[in-house]
Amino acid sequence: MVVVRLPGLLATQAGGRGRFEVEAQTVAEALRALPIADLIFDEAGELRPLVNVYVDGVDARSRGGLGATVDRDAEIRVVAAIAGGSGRV
Amino acid sequence: MGVLILAGTHKGLFLLKGDDSRRQFEIEGPYLPGWDVYHAVVDPRDGALYACANNYVYGGTVHRSDDLGRTWERSEGLGLPEESGLKLEKTWHLEPGHPSEPGTLWLGGAPGVLFESEDGGRSWEPNRALLEHPTRERWHPGAGGMCCHSIQIDPTDARTMYVGISAAGVFRSEDHGESWMPANAGTAADFLPDDPHPEVGQCVHKVLLHPARPERLWQQNHCGVYRSDERGASWERLDGNGLPSDFGFALALDPSDPDIAYVVPEEGAENRVTSDGRLGVYRTQDAGSSWELASDGLPERAWVAVLREGLAYDEQGVYLGTQSGSVFARMNGEWIEAARQLPPVLSVEVGAWS
Repeated sequence: MVVVRLPGLLATQAGGRGRFEVEAQTVAEALRALPIADLIFDEAGELRPLVNVYVDGVDARSRGGLGATVDRDAEIRVVAAIAGGSGRV
Repeated sequence: MGVLILAGTHKGLFLLKGDDSRRQFEIEGPYLPGWDVYHAVVDPRDGALYACANNYVYGGTVHRSDDLGRTWERSEGLGLPEESGLKLEKTWHLEPGHPSEPGTLWLGGAPGVLFESEDGGRSWEPNRALLEHPTRERWHPGAGGMCCHSIQIDPTDARTMYVGISAAGVFRSEDHGESWMPANAGTAADFLPDDPHPEVGQCVHKVLLHPARPERLWQQNHCGVYRSDERGASWERLDGNGLPSDFGFALALDPSDPDIAYVVPEEGAENRVTSDGRLGVYRTQDAGSSWELASDGLPERAWVAVLREGLAYDEQGVYLGTQSGSVFARMNGEWIEAARQLPPVLSVEVGAWS
């Protein structure tokens, strides 16, 4: 099972759960299986620009993007970009 | 039955529960921590709380609570259709529907969009007529984005509605949102020197309908304070005559007297702070012919800001929140500070709790 770990605010929105185990072949499948998928993807299905995704500690962008396959024991981490604090974001 | 003030802040939602005297308030929260609560409201039809909650990473959402904030449910499927070429940027204002339409709610958002829910906010459908309005190409975002921030429903006719969008102007529907007509005649767009009185494009900051005289609308605009006595078909400019500035955001009415309105003038568009170095709330009692300070109990030395959702009213009083984190309540002609040191207050609404 692929493990997905969420930051605090998303975990709160997921009913207090920060760790999920999901059946998934790709990074995107794993993320779309989450109950908070609407918070990390917009209505067009695109990853929101300030959401970062790491697979086994590596930025998903540098390992084939969200369509890349994941190992059955992979760990995916969702991380909010460091854009907080600005009144303009 | 006590008064319930909903203070939406930059760091979640606070509930201020007042006793019968409305001089003592118990503060609960923050609920929805981590979210910018642009607006929160109690649905008077069933007591449910709704919040427009935005997050710089996770986007714009709507949350509903049936137990006064203890638990929340997030709306599903909130977004714009792909063919529109637009994406939902933020949620701005929730308006419970007409009393004859239980379960119906309206949601305003950016970029200049309106949604309707028929299931108590669990799901939402975009209003196509506004989304595809033929004048949309002449709309422009203000400093806060192209926000649909005002939604008013005629209490005598559920089919008659108004929306205010910055900077698109006021639009009226007489068919429950099936079509929308610009309602901006007489309002200025001084920031468009080549066309200062356009059909659309005005930067309306807040629109309110008087509940007892629904043909009367009030408007605080980027360029003046206005009143319409004919459902927005024309507007009369009301600033001057006691107001220190024509610029501001907040607006409140008195449900028992259609001639009374409250505004909070700011220095101007380039210096958005309350006028004259004080927290000055101004009131008219003669439909805008003259204005006077109604600030007894408010700080006389202050440089603050009150946002467009920062002023609310009910039968008993007026309620105000500042970006400095204070909430004030005006009872019997005097303001008291109901809360201080909150995060920046983005919105204030009032309801009842028991």
